[in-house]
Amino acid sequence: MKKTNRKTIIAVLVITVALIALLIATTRSSTQYFLTVSELQSGETDMVGRNVRMSGVVLGDTIVYDPQTLDLTFEVAQIPGDHRIIQEMGGMALVLEQAAADPSLPHITVHYNGVKPDLLKHEAQAIVSGSLDANGVFQAKELLLKCPSKYESDLPNQVGN
Amino acid sequence: MFHLGLISFAAAMLAILIALILTVFQLFKHQTALTKPITTLASVSFGLHTLSLLTLMAMQVLQDYSISYVVSVVNSAMPTILKMTAVWGGQAGSLFFWGWTLNLVLFISLHVRRQIQDSWSFLFTALNLLFFGALSLFAENPFSRVWMTESGDILEGVFSPAAGATVYGGISGFGLNPLLRHWGMVIHPPILYLGFALFLIPFCVAISHLIRGESDEGLLGETRLWLLSGWILLTAGIALGSWWSYDVLGWGGYWAWDPVETASLLPWLTSTGLLHSLLLQKQRKIFKRFNFVLILLTYILVIFSILITRAGLLNSVHAFGESKISLPLTLLTLTLFGVSVALLAWRWRLLHSGWELTSLVTRDAAFLYTNVILISLTIVCFYGLAYPLITGAITGTQIGLDRTFFDKAATPLFILLAILMAICPISAWTVNSVRQLGKTARIPLILSILLTGVCYFFLTKSWLALLVLFIVSFGLLLMLALTLRECKSPREAAKRWWGQRARHGAWFVHAGVLLIALGIVGMEGLEASIQGTMIPGDKMPLRSYEVEFVQLTTEYENPEYLTIEAELVLWKDGKVVDKLFPGQHLYEDRGQYVSIPGKQSTLRGDFYTLLLDYNSMMGYVTIRASDNPLVNFMWIGALLMVLGAILAASVPWKSLQLGDNDQHERELPVS
Repeated sequence: MKKTNRKTIIAVLVITVALIALLIATTRSSTQYFLTVSELQSGETDMVGRNVRMSGVVLGDTIVYDPQTLDLTFEVAQIPGDHRIIQEMGGMALVLEQAAADPSLPHITVHYNGVKPDLLKHEAQAIVSGSLDANGVFQAKELLLKCPSKYESDLPNQVGN
Repeated sequence: MFHLGLISFAAAMLAILIALILTVFQLFKHQTALTKPITTLASVSFGLHTLSLLTLMAMQVLQDYSISYVVSVVNSAMPTILKMTAVWGGQAGSLFFWGWTLNLVLFISLHVRRQIQDSWSFLFTALNLLFFGALSLFAENPFSRVWMTESGDILEGVFSPAAGATVYGGISGFGLNPLLRHWGMVIHPPILYLGFALFLIPFCVAISHLIRGESDEGLLGETRLWLLSGWILLTAGIALGSWWSYDVLGWGGYWAWDPVETASLLPWLTSTGLLHSLLLQKQRKIFKRFNFVLILLTYILVIFSILITRAGLLNSVHAFGESKISLPLTLLTLTLFGVSVALLAWRWRLLHSGWELTSLVTRDAAFLYTNVILISLTIVCFYGLAYPLITGAITGTQIGLDRTFFDKAATPLFILLAILMAICPISAWTVNSVRQLGKTARIPLILSILLTGVCYFFLTKSWLALLVLFIVSFGLLLMLALTLRECKSPREAAKRWWGQRARHGAWFVHAGVLLIALGIVGMEGLEASIQGTMIPGDKMPLRSYEVEFVQLTTEYENPEYLTIEAELVLWKDGKVVDKLFPGQHLYEDRGQYVSIPGKQSTLRGDFYTLLLDYNSMMGYVTIRASDNPLVNFMWIGALLMVLGAILAASVPWKSLQLGDNDQHERELPVS
């Protein structure tokens, strides 16, 4: 009984150590900073090249897409990162609408190579993963888009239009 | 209509509340059997809840725009089936629908032949149901109406938000987002929800057993069918989501480690482990504690998964956005967790079961390894999900993990799992018959090595893909060889096969997983694509295929959108094999495009084309073409998993005993 117990403990220990090692090793290489546009720009010098995920509102007029090369560039403007603040400001749909209309907010150019997503349009929320290059352009490896109406339209706001 | 829906919903919740209070009185009198009034009230509640759901559906179909939920998910151009299923298309409606599935599951549990509810388990089931009912009633009410005040402002509320306000039905519906107008939307959410909900009953039964201090084997037999059916629907639901996401561009392919996808995988992983270790408890009387932990954990992870989907804590394509119900859901998750831990700690000694793992190479050991890997995967996925939340709470800025984390951390574990599944049939045999087994395993081994060699020269040089291909082909061939070995006379073989259908069902499930692995290798390792701009008559080569552009058409075949379609002819080896019509639907009101891929699907794989850009004046198009070999094995594999599990579920729990009559080749029911 004692012997089995010791064996079990050793086995559990080995597995735990292996799992923790796996987690630490992969965590280190996959760490990603979740930043807003202004947070990224304020720390510009040391943020270059870092793995970052950033969220912003798409400015429709700035979308340039070349279907030959699949090069896609557009600008995104600052929106708050904290969902509590967004809620206090009246919800995501309203925040996106106001941010897209406010030229004084910080904005950044995003470059992405790939098929243009169907949801890329004015006032959509873009969540981009990638890194900032030396020219201050965000080189996105992954591009995720959400419209506030993705699942349902925010009623009072849309009615207000 | 509004009154019917709201009042029947409120009455349904009231009925459950009364049943709950009666149950509490029962428990004070130390009576654990459910009385007739309680079950009657629960049935009445289900009936009223169903009536309420049907009313909401009817209002959607009839486009009653005085209901704000109807305005947000329905418009006149949507087909009736989508108008009905828009119940789960938005936040309020899908929460309401989830509550209904819980009530459905409660109803079934009270009316199946083997009734497994007692007062304690009913108490917890009803509490869960009431919690979600209350969220729907007080926080996210699907029956909320649109009001116009005297000053002309438009507001939203169940009841009049201001004096003199009148119900206003003048806003025409927005309709579901075009990306959701797909068959996937009709079937994926309800199947997934029902799968989730079915885990509630085993959870409550386990809680009841812990409270009453009962730890007999009865629990297992009672919950097995619930767990299996939950698992089957969950598997089907996840696979359908994956298929939908592959079929619609913009959802990120078949699997993207999106937080919501990952969260739905968590209860799947733990319930898969549970199905394995339940069998060991049945046959060997071990793993009792482990099983209790897994039953409780599975439902807690279901709630956690709902929290992730609805709270808007993490960025995800699926998320409903920020919501006021995130706090109550967090509290529910923590409460369930706390209650479970406390009860387990209280009864820990009682749940003791002997530990008698005799050797590290037996079937029991293989089950143990399987569960160790499944639990490790659960930890990896949970860690990846929770990491940004934890760092956010500690440091203020969220530091997360990108999807390479999941790829890197989960791939080795999944490969280990595939190896175990491939050699699983071997473990059913004792050491005595190793020689006999060697004979059967030799041919699959040689064949799979040959096959891997061929793949190395003609398909891929990636060692990872080759490793998976080797494991998959060996596993599949071994199962085939072992099944064929018994096929001396067809009739007898069929009879034996049916007699051992629990084992063969499990093999089907494993073969299904291996086929999915094959599909993943095809998508990740063997895919090739090309894009180019063409005028009519141009051809574009890809592998042995050629795509020829014929013409571009634009027409209003549907009042809501403009259909732009490219007609392509697909050539293979100099012969016309198919016509493809990749296109785009332009929703002009929304300014939104929805890409409709044109594809040729065969067992070999998909030839997938997309219309990226077009110029109807100049008549040119830009097409992206991809050759996705083996991808359809993913869907075949998922189907096989579901069918295999149904096959295994058809075996009564009682007959899953370990047969000791044949020592040389033990006929283990499931391996």
